[in-house]
Amino acid sequence: MTAKAISSAATSQKRSSFLTQLANPRVYCALLALSLILIVPAVIDSPFVVHVFVTICVFAALSTAWNIVGGYAGQLSLGHTVFYGIGGYTTALLIQHFGISPWLGMWAGAALSALVGIGIGYPCFRLRGPFFSLATIAFLEVVRLLSIHFTGVTGGAAGLIVPLNLGWAWMIFEDKFNYLYIAFGLLLLTLIVSWAIRNSRLGFYLTAVREREDAALAAGVNNTNVKLKAVMISAALTSLVGSFHAMYMTFLEPATMFSLATSIEIAMFSLIGGLGTVVGPLLGTVLVVPIAELARGWLGASANGLHGFVYGTVLVIITLTLPGGLVGTFGNRVGGWIDRLPGGGRRDDGREAPAQRPITGEPVKPILEAKNLVMKFGGLTATDNVSVTLLRGEILGIIGPNGAGKTTLFSQISGFLQPTSGTVGIVGPDGSMTSPTSADEFARLGVGRTFQIVQPFGKLTVLENIMVGAFMRHPKVDDARAAALRVARLVGLDDIKDVEARNLPIGGLKRLEVARTLATEPSILLLDEVMAGQSQSDTQKMVNLVRTIRDTGVTVIAIEHNMQAIMSLSDRIVVIDSGRVIAQGNPQEVVKDRRVIEAYLGEDFVDAQGI
Amino acid sequence: MDVLVQLILNGILLGSMYAIISVGLTLIFGIVRVVNFAHGEFLMVGMYAVYLLGTHLGLNPYVSIVPVVILLFVLGALVQRFIIQPLLGADEHIQIFATVGLSTALVNLALLVFGADLYSLTVPSARQAISVGGNTMLVGQIVMFICAVVLVAGLHFFMQTTALGRAIRATAQNRNAALLMGVRVDRVYVFTFGLGAACVGLASALLIPLYPVTPTIGTYFVLTAFVVVVLGGMRSIYGAFAGAMIIGIVDSLSGYYIAPDLKEVVYFAIFILILIFKPTGLFGFGRGTE
Repeated sequence: MTAKAISSAATSQKRSSFLTQLANPRVYCALLALSLILIVPAVIDSPFVVHVFVTICVFAALSTAWNIVGGYAGQLSLGHTVFYGIGGYTTALLIQHFGISPWLGMWAGAALSALVGIGIGYPCFRLRGPFFSLATIAFLEVVRLLSIHFTGVTGGAAGLIVPLNLGWAWMIFEDKFNYLYIAFGLLLLTLIVSWAIRNSRLGFYLTAVREREDAALAAGVNNTNVKLKAVMISAALTSLVGSFHAMYMTFLEPATMFSLATSIEIAMFSLIGGLGTVVGPLLGTVLVVPIAELARGWLGASANGLHGFVYGTVLVIITLTLPGGLVGTFGNRVGGWIDRLPGGGRRDDGREAPAQRPITGEPVKPILEAKNLVMKFGGLTATDNVSVTLLRGEILGIIGPNGAGKTTLFSQISGFLQPTSGTVGIVGPDGSMTSPTSADEFARLGVGRTFQIVQPFGKLTVLENIMVGAFMRHPKVDDARAAALRVARLVGLDDIKDVEARNLPIGGLKRLEVARTLATEPSILLLDEVMAGQSQSDTQKMVNLVRTIRDTGVTVIAIEHNMQAIMSLSDRIVVIDSGRVIAQGNPQEVVKDRRVIEAYLGEDFVDAQGI
Repeated sequence: MDVLVQLILNGILLGSMYAIISVGLTLIFGIVRVVNFAHGEFLMVGMYAVYLLGTHLGLNPYVSIVPVVILLFVLGALVQRFIIQPLLGADEHIQIFATVGLSTALVNLALLVFGADLYSLTVPSARQAISVGGNTMLVGQIVMFICAVVLVAGLHFFMQTTALGRAIRATAQNRNAALLMGVRVDRVYVFTFGLGAACVGLASALLIPLYPVTPTIGTYFVLTAFVVVVLGGMRSIYGAFAGAMIIGIVDSLSGYYIAPDLKEVVYFAIFILILIFKPTGLFGFGRGTE
């Protein structure tokens, strides 16, 4: 077959998958509903109605773009009009000084906004909750004040009038309906981008980072990176809309282009519709904006403040009664109704799971070497000169009394804690020893860990939780889903795969920890008390599972308090007490060791027994 | 040199106003653990109340302190009871949205009722200038400074010596432990939120002689108050007091030496730098990344 034939086959396949998408009722219902935005004003044919619909499109697009950072990534920016203003001013100034068409200028604005987004996001993403919001407000205020101060560039508080050259090339029209075409196009663009992110690895990663930063790290997610990607995309989209809106209003002033009130409104529409959902921001805008615009249109200046009062009140009521927003609360039910339409229902395509990452290397050679690990927390030395070597293919048990430093050791050999002194070396795929510096790097090198205190992504289903792990080796959603299903079957979670993780009992959550870690296809598996909270029969299943995993070539280290389980499972045992390794060897030797008995039962007991 | 002394003096007097507002904000954040984005609007409500009492009943603003402090206490307590309390277990972003929504609603309600006009109450006694060693101060500013000092001292005394103060401190340290010791944490929160709002009531009566009231005046002052609170470490009323003085002086100096319209840029820049590099505040009392 020639290359041309292959590529045409690929195109036709793509086209057919696009057509299958169209047959999905969720897709055709959404497109039908969206087309109303063009049909209604075309039928009513009033300049005011066209204006209301342009405003709806603009705010829905802004809110959809905001939702990528505010909803998916959970970073509540209240200064998003920074990007809107940068887009507007860049476009307007490029026309004014260089005669560049807004169709080009808007992309320059988008690029600049993405850069500014990184500049704001990089330092601020470490701030939590309200402090992130406050910092974004502060950035917005700084930009607004500077834009007033540098009158020579922006025209200052007096404002800037866009040069009025009519025609498509200059995005200025006498027939206002043309504006609606562009606004609608921008809305479609943001919705498609938002939908694509939601259904991609990036979307899953953003949710994972929002829910549990540590668990996301353990799944190999570079937290800062994914958040920066989100803010770049969101900033660029916001900026595009800002450019268009400036052309529509033909007048720019700092107070409206960098408005805090508008920033809040954008976020508000998302919350009302449903944070972190694709259609939520659009729905919120469609419900709330017409009220405000109609009040402004009918009551004029006497209603100054009415729309803001309505917005604020609705927002408070929503937080108190429907914190999930409309889509979060009713989305599943309505989605179910839509799925009953022709062509609906999720088809389980029974896709074959992709090949697992092969584990190569000679057995019984060192695969992980921890040398002289010292970890000090203030005055407390949690691990004191601990050295452990892990041999490929073994199951190493780590035991010791509570507070001995076992989990601290785990955190150091998985990159979650940087040792005060000492080194951790991992044998990479090429056989050489490397010392990664961050937890996500450890994960990508094949060190998978579970958490003693379980860290589920509560709002994701069991399968989606496992998928977050599977994405590390299988970037495509379908592959990751298939791989996650395979792991779910192996760990015994397949019958509850569609349950939201927060509804699981502790035993299930422990197994979910194992499943998510296994899905990253590690070569070294660190299990931190996974038997705790399991029933007798489940413990036996878990023991068998760990053996099965080892038989596929994975090397296992397990911290465990369940002595019976760990003794029968381990090839070798390391005993830690007060931050030191006090004994190691095969299980039979270790249980007879005087120091070990002392550590568990005390010196008196040892003396009384005459051991 | 003379200019510098006068500028620093102005800064301290301005700082005392920020201190009163910020101490209230700090109480609410430090104890209820909620960032009250509507704090500035409480100030605005208080100022309109003082204005109305002055024009309709002829009350001197300094007399209005009593009714307005009570009014704001009740407003704060009601907001805590009916908006914040039900959301204490909710996600952080929901709490942010709730107070942001309240703030938006109150600003626009004021716009609807009073319009965008400036309203001011003339209080000649407060605008009298006093000259000390060649430096001028307004009586109203001096009263503000005294009130700020008395407020912080009074709160210190209250927190350290009374049973309620002890309960509040215990709740701030560890909510669950306080609950187990029989502290009625819900009531402590309602009282604290009221107390925080009451501080703004005091501020509003002291501000009226010096600033006209508009619907957006709260936003203007509260953003600065947030800067102060972060600077002061977010949990400490003493930190807030010190932070307020620093911001007052920065405001006054940068307005003179850099440009009047860039002084906010200067302290917002300080704010961002502090949040990023020293989230525990200048004095290490709290944590912005917590």
